[in-house]
Amino acid sequence: MRRETQNILLVLLGGALLKLALTGTYLRYVKESLQPWLVLTGGVMVVLALVSIVRDIRLGQAQPSGVEHAGHEHGTSRSPWMLLLPVFAVFLISPPALGADTVNRSDRNAAQEAKASSGFAPLPSDEVIPLTISEFVTRTAWDDSGSLDDRTVKLTGFVVRKDADVFIARLTISCCAADASPVKAKMAGQDFSALPTDQWVEATGRVVPGSATKESAFVPTFTVSQVVPIAAPEDTYEG
Amino acid sequence: MTITGEIRGSRRRPTPPRWKITSLEVLCVLLVLALVLQDWLVAALDAPVLRTASTVFVALCVQALPFLVLGVLISGAIAAFIPATVLRRALPKKTALAVPVAGVAGVALPGCECASVPVSRRLMQQGVAPAAALTFLLAAPAVNPIVLVSTAVAFPKEPMMVPARFVGSLLTAVVMGWLWTRFGKAEWIAERALRRLPDHDGTSRWAVFAETARHDLVDASGFLVLGGVFAAAFNVLVPQAWLETLGGQVVLAVVVLSLLAVVLALCSEADAFVAASMSALPLPARLVFLVVGPAVDVKLIALQAGAFGKSFAARFAPATFLVAVASALVAAEVFL
Repeated sequence: MRRETQNILLVLLGGALLKLALTGTYLRYVKESLQPWLVLTGGVMVVLALVSIVRDIRLGQAQPSGVEHAGHEHGTSRSPWMLLLPVFAVFLISPPALGADTVNRSDRNAAQEAKASSGFAPLPSDEVIPLTISEFVTRTAWDDSGSLDDRTVKLTGFVVRKDADVFIARLTISCCAADASPVKAKMAGQDFSALPTDQWVEATGRVVPGSATKESAFVPTFTVSQVVPIAAPEDTYEG
Repeated sequence: MTITGEIRGSRRRPTPPRWKITSLEVLCVLLVLALVLQDWLVAALDAPVLRTASTVFVALCVQALPFLVLGVLISGAIAAFIPATVLRRALPKKTALAVPVAGVAGVALPGCECASVPVSRRLMQQGVAPAAALTFLLAAPAVNPIVLVSTAVAFPKEPMMVPARFVGSLLTAVVMGWLWTRFGKAEWIAERALRRLPDHDGTSRWAVFAETARHDLVDASGFLVLGGVFAAAFNVLVPQAWLETLGGQVVLAVVVLSLLAVVLALCSEADAFVAASMSALPLPARLVFLVVGPAVDVKLIALQAGAFGKSFAARFAPATFLVAVASALVAAEVFL
């Protein structure tokens, strides 16, 4: 592959990273904390390519065949063509954030027993407590004091269907979307057939005490009194 | 053809082909085609499985590229600013001693496995013994402070997981280094990986730095993308649901989790959280997952094949896999 082509591919790839980082689309793929690194990485790629282009032009003017820096030994390398894949994926396809399909690929409910050891902070005394689904699931599964019984909570997540059951779910990521783990609660108490799969909702209701057991794979049942469709949040992941 | 073009062409070879198709023209055609076919592409990828796979693919690339860029910048800096003699003096002369020193030196490179491949190749080119450079390659992604801290956070109830992981990974790296000293053959490594850089008299150090980094980046990132394609495919093809059914069967769990570590290609800073969430599985098997993952996975195999050649990767990856599983089990026996 010619140097010029390599440099153009680098500019495209760096541009793709910059586009993701600056438009906020990166939140579909990685954690928020990676944003400055993505900007830096995209910038470094573009700069390295531009430096090389400028040098080539200068050397090219000095000596028409100016190619001794061209790295001939890699003239046969075809691997840089692979860089087109992420470039096309970012600019043309722009894959969506993970959703119901990923939740149904695993039976895990990422409520970690481990987290219980750090103890549970007392809940606020508000009438309706907004909770992340991770915290909701962890508390229902591992908090023996039953701190959620008889409390009204509000959960935000998307609709997932499996067999006849309807769940409110979210994905937690610790590094990037490749390590996403689902957290979910089974919704009960209403007819949810009007809600399409992957629709984002805010659901208010109460947990059925003792419903998150080993038999139910630690998926609690959530009696919903009110469910409101909402627009997807900017960062769809928890954790 | 323009006049200048003819002059230039005739200077190079006597009968220049009139329409020579270079990669530049191919790239232009591909870009135009992709733009024209965009709607068709989007429609073709509309199945849920493909959507999930493409998201995972982009995520893997986006997450790994900053680390790869860090790696090539370090590699460029070593090439430009650190004379080979300094490196050789820093390591013990005897390779058998240099190997553990290189392993412990891995603590200093905080990053994923993608960063360590270009760095260790550069070390080899600067005259560091291949065995020591390979030990560094295996140790750096697994024993650095960031990875150990994230392991501690993921396993608050199992504090021994941290020393177990540290020892298991370091043992893997050092044993592989010694095995290479004893059995490794230089000809397995592609010649281009060992070739010394020409002495950079005349060119400025910054030019060497920029050109080395650019060159390594182009070289490695293509293979990183290739590894990402495989990892994304496995991510949606491997049914994770039956993992939970493995419960009490330790041997089967070790086998399955070690293979899973290879095909999922998780970043070494995140794999501890995934391992922690597999709470139904025995702890030694989860340790195997953590030790194998940073040492050998599809992304790394692709990067190694690119940096050191296919015949190297075909020998090194399976050997590392076996050594990593054994080291993890030894560490599990001692610590867990």
